[in-house]
Amino acid sequence: MMQDLTAEEVERYADGEIPPEALPEIEAHLRDCSRCANAVLGVMQMKRAVRAAMPRFTPRRPLVLRKRTSKTFVWFAAAAVLIVIAIGGEMLVLSRNTSARELADLHSTILASANPIDVVSTDRHTVKPWFEGRVPFAVNIPDLSATPFRLIGGRVVFWHGRPGAYLLVSKGAHKISLFIFESLPSLGGTPQMTIDEWHANGLTYVAVGDVSRDDLEALRRAYGG
Amino acid sequence: MTDGLSFEALALPLFEPLYNYARWLARDAEEAEDLVQETYLKAFRGFGSFTAGTNFRAWIYRILRNTFLTSRSGLRGTPQVSIDDDPDRFEGLAEETTPETIFFSRANAAALQTAIEGLPLPFREVILLSDVENFSYKEIAETLSIPIGTVTSRLLRARAKVREALRGSK
Repeated sequence: MMQDLTAEEVERYADGEIPPEALPEIEAHLRDCSRCANAVLGVMQMKRAVRAAMPRFTPRRPLVLRKRTSKTFVWFAAAAVLIVIAIGGEMLVLSRNTSARELADLHSTILASANPIDVVSTDRHTVKPWFEGRVPFAVNIPDLSATPFRLIGGRVVFWHGRPGAYLLVSKGAHKISLFIFESLPSLGGTPQMTIDEWHANGLTYVAVGDVSRDDLEALRRAYGG
Repeated sequence: MTDGLSFEALALPLFEPLYNYARWLARDAEEAEDLVQETYLKAFRGFGSFTAGTNFRAWIYRILRNTFLTSRSGLRGTPQVSIDDDPDRFEGLAEETTPETIFFSRANAAALQTAIEGLPLPFREVILLSDVENFSYKEIAETLSIPIGTVTSRLLRARAKVREALRGSK
């Protein structure tokens, strides 16, 4: 007959942690040894008592993960909304308002986020390779050093099921969203926004924003238009 | 096992148990909500690094626990006492624990709760994970990043401390 169980064996038995091959011998012992059986029963009772005694806390709110708003980015919502869309090979029909509004909303949503960008860098040589493997095209980023524009960083966005590159660019206190997609449905403008369109390097660029035409032309020049 | 399940399918059913665990760790409702929020954000962003075939529940609990330990109250609340994980192993039955001596009635549930709340975190959490959340030793080991042998000895010592506290409260 085996010796009394060790204290650890008692715990493991009560917790259901004895390997199956060791169970027959232990259970035979427990049938014969009231001392060990009492010890096991004691731990089992304690486990049950703990479960019953410990109140289960439930969240005060239903299952809704809160979106944290960062004070740092709240002012962005009031900043100029300028959306530049570079579209490969598609002519644009600037007659539908929906798409531009959606992108303007996406611009505001991203800027209101606590983490608007995933790659934070002013260095275009850092940002460009970051997109490799993340979007199905090469993201070329011009040298903006001679311009009033500054690169802040980027992230991947999905719009209408299409992956795109998102670059966050600043001009002074204004933040500009640059969305780059391989192809897009035709884009509309909104009456409040200035729209500029140009072609360069086989791509069609459309800038949409509530800034002056001069600003958009400066951006056009920076992007080779 | 993820079995190809999405983050949403794996993680969202754990919301309430995670909150319960966070609440026991932090002992504060608002902080527990913040912990769960942060845990979900970290888990969601790190889901790509989760190894399919390993235990998702232990993985996300570990994120929650590490988030707590590096939080201000976690750093404040972690005892600076040494938790000897290679214990004075109990030889044989260390103490008489009969059903009579630890007969837990509704009347002393409060004493039991107080005893557990008074345990240092390393002991409190093994009891919570084992007895309240029904974690296996393996899951506890993965959650706390400790060997299974340490789980066994820590549970043993935690329960001994609870019994001791209950005897003292009588």
